[in-house]
Amino acid sequence: MHFSEDDLREALKRKDPDEGFTQRVMARVNQAQPGNKTVLAKKPNGAFLSWLTHRPAWAMALAAMLLLAFGIGGYQYSEYRHAEEMRIARARQQQLQQEAERARDQAIMALEIARAKMNHVLQHAQLQAEPTDKSRRERL
Amino acid sequence: MEQTAAFEDDRLKQALTLSVTGDAQAFADLVREHQGMVFSIAYHFLQDRSLAEDLAQEVFLELFQSVNRIQSPAHLTYWLRRVTANRCIDQGRKKHRRREMALEEAPEPATVSGHADPMLMERLQQSLATLPEKQRLVVIMRFQEGLGPAEIAEVLEMPVNTVKSTLHRSLADLRKGLTRKIREVRYAFF
Repeated sequence: MHFSEDDLREALKRKDPDEGFTQRVMARVNQAQPGNKTVLAKKPNGAFLSWLTHRPAWAMALAAMLLLAFGIGGYQYSEYRHAEEMRIARARQQQLQQEAERARDQAIMALEIARAKMNHVLQHAQLQAEPTDKSRRERL
Repeated sequence: MEQTAAFEDDRLKQALTLSVTGDAQAFADLVREHQGMVFSIAYHFLQDRSLAEDLAQEVFLELFQSVNRIQSPAHLTYWLRRVTANRCIDQGRKKHRRREMALEEAPEPATVSGHADPMLMERLQQSLATLPEKQRLVVIMRFQEGLGPAEIAEVLEMPVNTVKSTLHRSLADLRKGLTRKIREVRYAFF
């Protein structure tokens, strides 16, 4: 059995819905009207979601982009945290080194003072011992 | 003829403008004007009058909520075709219909046109129901709505070349389906 394009046009001729279709639509419109404002307020989001549901490839691409953005953001934040921790550790080490140097200088100074005092005492003791030696030699 | 078309366009423009301001009567005029187109796309796709009516009502409900975005009568027609096509595909997915169904499983068409060969019309409608969703929509847009490949491509968001190849394949599938059916009938009789 063959058919022409005209046959197909005839088979797919427009058909009218049952009587009262417009009234049924208007009844549903009137039912929907009280909540219409909220529907309209949410429209951009709903329209976007319905746009996405008809384009799974776009939805996947968007999800992948979001994932990538979060990944890069997370990586950069961890890098920043790491650099900050390193900076704090370096500053703390520098501070400890300075304190250690100061303590070493103080210890050296204390030893210098002690050495000077010891020398002084030793000289004093030698001076006091000297006349005794002279008299001992005279006695001999 | 041109004057009538211009008058009709003006009337629709006015109805559209009034609908945006919330005029229910004007919106009802828009529904009345386009109900045949929307219902027919849905009916030829779903082959079920009650499902087609539900779908058409949903489309007009969506139109009511988005009427302020419609810029002209031509845009309205394009918008209705596009939304109806999308909803048809959604409906098909919801019902878990197979992409292709056997010719025997295709529902019997409710009405057959008057002056054409009734048997051929019936077989054509049955064969159409066996086509995959996108192919079916392309055939409906081409032969019900009389759209060219570029317009179909725009409505169904497909490349023009894909529309052309889909159309070619669909006609071949329809011919194949009809021939198979006739052979089966012959074997049954002889």
